[in-house]
Amino acid sequence: MLDLLFQFLANTGYYLADYRNYIMLVVGCIFLYLGTAKKYEPLLLVPIGFGILVGNIPFFKGFGIGIYEPNSVLHYLYFGVTSGVYPSIVFMGLGAMTDFSSLLAQPKLMLLGAAAQMGIYFTLLGALFFGFAPKEAASIAIIGGADGPTSIFLTAKLAPHLIGPIAIAAYSYMALIPVIQPPIMRLLTTKKERLIKMPPSRTVSKKELLIFPIAGVLLCCFLAPTALPLLGMLFLGNFLKECGVVNRLANTAQSAIIDTATIFLGFTVGCSTQADVFLTPKSLGIFFLGAVAFSIATASGVIFAKIMNMFLKNKINPLLGAAGVSAVPGSAREVHLMGLKEDPTNFLLMHGMACNSSGVIGSAICAGILWSFFI
Amino acid sequence: MFGLENITNNDGWAMAVVGASIVFMGLVVLSFVISQIHRLLNLWEDREKVISRFKQKPAAVKAPEKAEIVYGDQRLPSVEQLINAYKPLIEKLQEPFKLSQLFEIAKNNDMPHPHLSIQRLQEADVLVAQGDGTFTWNESIE
Repeated sequence: MLDLLFQFLANTGYYLADYRNYIMLVVGCIFLYLGTAKKYEPLLLVPIGFGILVGNIPFFKGFGIGIYEPNSVLHYLYFGVTSGVYPSIVFMGLGAMTDFSSLLAQPKLMLLGAAAQMGIYFTLLGALFFGFAPKEAASIAIIGGADGPTSIFLTAKLAPHLIGPIAIAAYSYMALIPVIQPPIMRLLTTKKERLIKMPPSRTVSKKELLIFPIAGVLLCCFLAPTALPLLGMLFLGNFLKECGVVNRLANTAQSAIIDTATIFLGFTVGCSTQADVFLTPKSLGIFFLGAVAFSIATASGVIFAKIMNMFLKNKINPLLGAAGVSAVPGSAREVHLMGLKEDPTNFLLMHGMACNSSGVIGSAICAGILWSFFI
Repeated sequence: MFGLENITNNDGWAMAVVGASIVFMGLVVLSFVISQIHRLLNLWEDREKVISRFKQKPAAVKAPEKAEIVYGDQRLPSVEQLINAYKPLIEKLQEPFKLSQLFEIAKNNDMPHPHLSIQRLQEADVLVAQGDGTFTWNESIE
């Protein structure tokens, strides 16, 4: 009887845990705290944080419990991540929620979305410099796009063993936008530039909104067919919303479907951060390079807006360049708040959303391009 | 392998330059296309006007000559009507009179198109030139 008791105790988490598990449990609790108490990206941080807790409860290997063990429930749920299914579904929901009218009203703002992708390519060089393999470097670089699903999608294709740290880094930096972006924006702009007022956007017709997803999917996916799983779904979701004849489908895509995918995506990514896989020197390098990528992306957007102003008659507020990263709507909101701080009558939110939505398209194209380099 | 050597050996420079160029080019093309959508739509919505403008172009070249005649014929009263309208005004003037006097009195009485009307009366020989810049009313045409 005692043998049975000792055997049971030897299989409990309390017995099997080591210090790395406790570190990750603390990390999980920090995520939950940031998500619930500070309300930093709660839709992402709460499922990821809880996933970290679940993924780091030690268990006896071979029982088919862990996320990396074949035939376990978590392993099946994780298939949606490794196959790229969840990111694609999230993109469809995102498309169904996004209003591209501000972008259609000011197409020149799309260039800021393109400029902000420069962070990806600088980080690619940085990761290679620090000795990462090319596929790993490309997966790390995409963090600069500030797009969680895109980062997960590309990493699943190129370096699946890094999904955990890359996803955690991408979502962490997205949640930390209010901390990371404002100092860079202030550093690179003068007060006079921050005070530039943007003219109100023109009204965009329903037909334009309807044509955009078709033109977008054809142009972008012909250019980078590897971006099809992301951009195809993004523009499908947007067309469902704009066509006005399938409101039931559009409503489901922008609520139940994206919510379900977000829960499973966040939870399984959290579970994938098992201490023995996650706590490695490589993860530290990924976190460092991710921060660099995000900062360079923000800076290159702002600098490009200043360069554009040298040639434009109607100047652009360079703060909008920071919204070129695809963290929707966090970075647009941050730009708006900084604009309001300088001038309470300067409303930059809708202009920021234009840059944001072009950033989503830009980072998905970047993911497709990087993937195609290794096919 | 680390450093610049790792970048060079793995085509890092090429990947960065080509990748950045492609994404930039793609978004520039997309922004150009979406900036033209509303113009194309406007053109499509006004297609009937545009087509009709092209169709009417040859007719519009010949039109001016006819248009003047049509305008005069349609808008101006007939010579008989003009005689009836201007007779009371002539009675207020002393014969012979200058056309400027007739114009002045016609204008004061709110007669429509006084220039054209006086010209027409002149062409119909209702107003007869005396050779010294003055005119008389031809009673025989009534």
